[in-house]
Amino acid sequence: MTGFLAILISGIGTYASRALFILALANRRLPPRVTLAMEYVGPSVMAALVVTLLLSGEEGAPMSLPEAVALAVAALLAWKTRNHLLTLGVAMSVYWGLRALL
Amino acid sequence: MSDSRAIVRRGIADALPLFIPAIPFALVLGVTILQSSLLPLLGWSSSWVIYGGASQLTLITLLNDGAAAAAAVTAALIVNARHLMYSAAMAPAFQQQPGWFRWVGSYFLIDQVFALCMLRTALPPREFRLYYLSVGITFWSLWVAACGAALFLGPVVPAQWHLGFAVPVMFLALLVMGVDRWPKAVAALIAALVAWLGADLPHRSGLLLGAGAGVGFGMLFEGLRR
Repeated sequence: MTGFLAILISGIGTYASRALFILALANRRLPPRVTLAMEYVGPSVMAALVVTLLLSGEEGAPMSLPEAVALAVAALLAWKTRNHLLTLGVAMSVYWGLRALL
Repeated sequence: MSDSRAIVRRGIADALPLFIPAIPFALVLGVTILQSSLLPLLGWSSSWVIYGGASQLTLITLLNDGAAAAAAVTAALIVNARHLMYSAAMAPAFQQQPGWFRWVGSYFLIDQVFALCMLRTALPPREFRLYYLSVGITFWSLWVAACGAALFLGPVVPAQWHLGFAVPVMFLALLVMGVDRWPKAVAALIAALVAWLGADLPHRSGLLLGAGAGVGFGMLFEGLRR
């Protein structure tokens, strides 16, 4: 019962966090400074998320060499090709390859 | 992208590769659910009741560690607090949308949907809606199915594959694709640095601190650029 309630309340809270501003700002004109600030949410959250994921991974900090090289390759490929599948495939191959060698 | 079918196909094609890194996440979640005291079916229901891998994992792990239910729920919601920022960032695009879509679309607003659809906010409203729903529904059905399959497959996949590393790789790729001018790159670097410095703060709140710092400094650089 506790588990059921905990999941339900987390679900409602999560939905609320996703819907809050979409619903609250539906008919309001946003100041240009605010819309400009919102453009920075994507890059900032993604960057913080990447770091958090790397630090909470099984290898922990500091980042291993295969991880660092694979991330650099991923960044370069994403920038140059803008192809998700290619980026993921090559970066993971580099990661596995270096892990096997080192 | 004027033809509806082409937009739907585009949405599905964009979502599919992004789902690959979510598979190891689902497997970890499956193992965690099996190790917890929850009934497997109840644990699986979190995939569509909460619909957010990191918070599902946080909630179930903490419940299992014997944390008070209220503390576990609080931690899960803090992990998900970044969705508030997605909601605010998406609000302008949703202003031109019908009311039902604001309610329905909010449910699908996870990291990957946000990252993909933020790149398409310039589309006309109807096309944006089609694209958003294609990406959202593709991701949702795969996630719910994968979490179910993970209850059976999770214990079988060897941990040495380190499949979990695919998750940060994919978010880094999304980050890079969203950078269209230098202040965004600098904001991302500052966000990463602050999140790293704040890594030991409870409930992953370093993530929010880093994101906030990135947005703040981004605005500062925007001011300098003009």
